[in-house]
Amino acid sequence: MRGFGITSVILAAATVAASPATLAQDTSFAQLERGRYGVITGNCQACHTARGEEPFAGARPMETPFGVIYTPNITFERETGLGQWTREDFWQAMHNGRSRDGSQLYPAFPYPHFTRMPREEVDAIYDYLSTLPQVKKEKPENDLPFPLNIRLAVKGWNMLFFDPGPFEPDPGKSEAWNRGAYLVHGPGHCAGCHSEKNLLGADKESGDLRGGRLEHWSAPNIRGGENGGLADWSHEDIVEFLQTGRNRHSAAFSSMAEVIAYSTQHMCEKDLQAIALYLKSLDDEPRDQPDAPDEAVMTAGQSIYADNCSACHTSDGSGVPRFFAPLAGSGKVRNPDATTVIRVILEGARSVPTNARPTPLSMPAFGWKLDDSQIAAVATYIRNSWDNASGAISAGDVEALRQQLAE
Amino acid sequence: MGTMLASPAFARTIAGLPWSPAQTSTPQSLVGQHFLTAAEKHCLDALTGRLIPSDEYGPGAPEAGVTTFIDRQLAGFFGRGDRWYMQAPFRDGIPGQGYQSEHAPAQLYRRALASLDAFCRATFGGRLYAELETEAQDELLRQMEAGDLSLEGVSAETFFGLLWENTIEGFFCDPLYGGNRDMVGWKLVGFPGARYDYRDVLDHNGAPVRLEPVGLMGGPQWRVD
Repeated sequence: MRGFGITSVILAAATVAASPATLAQDTSFAQLERGRYGVITGNCQACHTARGEEPFAGARPMETPFGVIYTPNITFERETGLGQWTREDFWQAMHNGRSRDGSQLYPAFPYPHFTRMPREEVDAIYDYLSTLPQVKKEKPENDLPFPLNIRLAVKGWNMLFFDPGPFEPDPGKSEAWNRGAYLVHGPGHCAGCHSEKNLLGADKESGDLRGGRLEHWSAPNIRGGENGGLADWSHEDIVEFLQTGRNRHSAAFSSMAEVIAYSTQHMCEKDLQAIALYLKSLDDEPRDQPDAPDEAVMTAGQSIYADNCSACHTSDGSGVPRFFAPLAGSGKVRNPDATTVIRVILEGARSVPTNARPTPLSMPAFGWKLDDSQIAAVATYIRNSWDNASGAISAGDVEALRQQLAE
Repeated sequence: MGTMLASPAFARTIAGLPWSPAQTSTPQSLVGQHFLTAAEKHCLDALTGRLIPSDEYGPGAPEAGVTTFIDRQLAGFFGRGDRWYMQAPFRDGIPGQGYQSEHAPAQLYRRALASLDAFCRATFGGRLYAELETEAQDELLRQMEAGDLSLEGVSAETFFGLLWENTIEGFFCDPLYGGNRDMVGWKLVGFPGARYDYRDVLDHNGAPVRLEPVGLMGGPQWRVD
């Protein structure tokens, strides 16, 4: 997408010629470039692309606690994509979560966040999407239980949880802070993963970024101020992470790998600085100190760690920054919700390859050689060693996740 | 168990080599696989028990599970000679040319153990190899090694070479393959097992590094009670 040039412009021109005038795209370079960048900030490609298939043609299954929802085709193909959508239709979807036929979209589509985007930005995205290669691809039927399969039910959800309206800058803060807050809460929709959901799938406390759980991953607390999950990260650490996928504290994998691969690594550094500035301004409450784990479990955990983990993560948990993630002080390890820690031990993980760091390093899976109680012991050990004090994990926690992942 | 590679259909769209979670190339321990009969195992215990006997240094080959190890290996691809060229012509070859027998290892064991017991019965008044005095057992092994014993339908020298190699393997293998029970082989020689990180003990100034041995599937120190 970097090399936006002649080909795309010609393509754009061809598309305009073929489309009804009522769609009224603005295909100036500046407008399309704005739209292209908007698509990057919103990370549209990750969800609207099925694995290994045509970009933006949708049909990717999204697992939600309520069932599987498939993403639609957002290329401008007439039958299966947005080919018949007007700018106004697109605005209604992005701003109000309403589809072209008037039905409600499921909030798996992050319109509660995209509603913060101004009209001009949404129009630019529309214009840019109209220039993409058109792909004919039907969206599979969603697999949702009653009553959620009735889109009308979403109306009730909206009345309770949806607060439409563009981002309103805080005049008491700097321009950069406001830009960061806009990116985080608007297109970036960080709270989609990094905030706890209530029982109906809405962000609690309007996206507090104190960590959340999605698709059997626990996303860490990303508040960067005092007591926040990123309290130990500097501005530069946050920028480096979003730009390269790694920093001295951590490496991105799973869902965050997609965010970095398709979105943040392509964002300009000024915007990443703004995000860092905003996150660093968010203080948090001090966390309760959990009980110290059982000595015998810690002893077994230490042996398991020494024999399986220390070769990369080192015996003092300091790892090899930017290659093997440090565990001491890690927000993922310290997360009160240990889902991610357990899952990475079970399944392994791969750090995201980025333009800056193209070599993906992988951690192998241990689910085949360690049983539930051993994984619980080693997870308990890393969560409560060095300066970490995050409480014990039970074999039952591991067993439950193993079963969920097998389904 | 076995190697499972991610199929291209599931390859991630993010650039780089395909990677899928929970996919691992796992060791094939062949647990529960058998080739040998009870009589063959009896004979093999006696043979390996003379090659690595129980003594003041610790348990010997039979106690370490070497027969179990060999039994499983003979039941698998090794026993079938799956990875070897096993077509005629069969010539003796020179030592550096490796395994030349027309019998894959499992069949070589079967023939050699049967011929050895038949030879013993005929020579030692109806007794099997396992029933001989240790001196007689050792003498037979010496003759087999030197190529001085002729067994019906099989090269005793070839069999001895394979038996000696497999006994060592069974005594020092990772315990998950059935031999080296309780890591007796590793404890005997002070091998700390499948470890790969000695950075913490690099500055030991020549002092012995005494670490409890650990296998691929762990050891008693991994047990959570």
